[in-house]
Amino acid sequence: MSDPHSWPDDPDGTAGEYVLGTLPPEERTAFARALDGDAGLRALVAGWEARLAPLAMATPPVAPGPATWAGIAARIGGTQGAVPGGAQIIRLERTARRWRVAAMGAGALAAGLALWIAAGPRPAGEGAQYLAVVDRGGALPALIVRVDLGSGLVQVRSLAAETPPDRSLELWYVGAGAAPRSLGLVTDASARLPVPAALRQGAEGGSLAVSVEPKGGSPTGSPTGPVIYSGKLVRD
Amino acid sequence: MGSAQRDGDLVRLIEAVAGGDQAALRALYDATAPKLLGIVLRILRDRGAAEDTLQEVFVRIWQRAGSYESRAGAPLVWLVAIARNGAIDRLRQEKAARLTQVEEGWLERLPDLGDGEGDLARRDALAHCLGTVEVPQRECLVLAYCEGWSREELAARFGCPVNTVKTWLRRGLISLRGCLEAA
Repeated sequence: MSDPHSWPDDPDGTAGEYVLGTLPPEERTAFARALDGDAGLRALVAGWEARLAPLAMATPPVAPGPATWAGIAARIGGTQGAVPGGAQIIRLERTARRWRVAAMGAGALAAGLALWIAAGPRPAGEGAQYLAVVDRGGALPALIVRVDLGSGLVQVRSLAAETPPDRSLELWYVGAGAAPRSLGLVTDASARLPVPAALRQGAEGGSLAVSVEPKGGSPTGSPTGPVIYSGKLVRD
Repeated sequence: MGSAQRDGDLVRLIEAVAGGDQAALRALYDATAPKLLGIVLRILRDRGAAEDTLQEVFVRIWQRAGSYESRAGAPLVWLVAIARNGAIDRLRQEKAARLTQVEEGWLERLPDLGDGEGDLARRDALAHCLGTVEVPQRECLVLAYCEGWSREELAARFGCPVNTVKTWLRRGLISLRGCLEAA
């Protein structure tokens, strides 16, 4: 097997170009893999990182938007109060934990329910878009919720949300300090629901939640069952 | 704050992050995210892509903080490397043609690293030694490192074959290293 890569001949030059970022993509990938098992190569790379770092430090800083931290906190399973509205998320997560115990007892839902939402701005044409990935903690995202104020639609794709056999999952929008509003039932397929008036004003500070309801949806217009998923909507 | 004290603070934060302390990650983010976003944005040139990448970078820091060894290097160098690798990987994945244009006067100001943070002696040494590298090689090094230019993009800028750029890059690195080690 021939080796098309240059690092056996010029390890320091290859390490330098790896740090610069100029290795061709295939060689970059192969070199990165080789680094894992080669302390000598890692030392060469660390040498170039240290030598060149002052050049990067001279770049002017740019303050990130608030959504960026929110996305990180969500992806590491953040329960810190650093996110505005964090208290609400913690409360909903605790609700989910209670439900997990109840669900395992009932055998209705798989174990491992957890709160995880990655939300962030997506390039939007006319109106603002919000994207929420509502996950069960490490596995496939259970729900992808896209709120598009431009087209006036909430799009829900259900990837792995298990519905207890005699129940329905219902999606709610919870505005800051407001009563939850139903956005409709979460079906197995991709569902498109009209954006309610409350969201058209902009959804900052709002959360999405999924509750377990009697078949066909909540009889009262408010959530009656346990909240099993929730996530915050964030936009820059 | 002196760079030694700042480094000490960052090391303690990274160690706390390695122990699963989310508040420490937030403190590390507050201390370094603007600097890292500036670096990533300069490479990606797209605010949305840069902030996405910054998220990836901090998730990676969260996952890999345990592998950081303070003896092996300054904490900011480690953080910058993770940020730049994230930006370069994203740039190379996208493969889309992009407008490569050098900001007026920027290359001429180099090697003026006056606004930089970090170890002053290293900074001055790098500024001096970049000044000793021949012009096309120096421009290739700086455009690649700071703005993520590929060999192909550099070849187009200088109107030369890609292999020539590779040779310039490697010779530029050798000159730079020789100068820094002689200093």
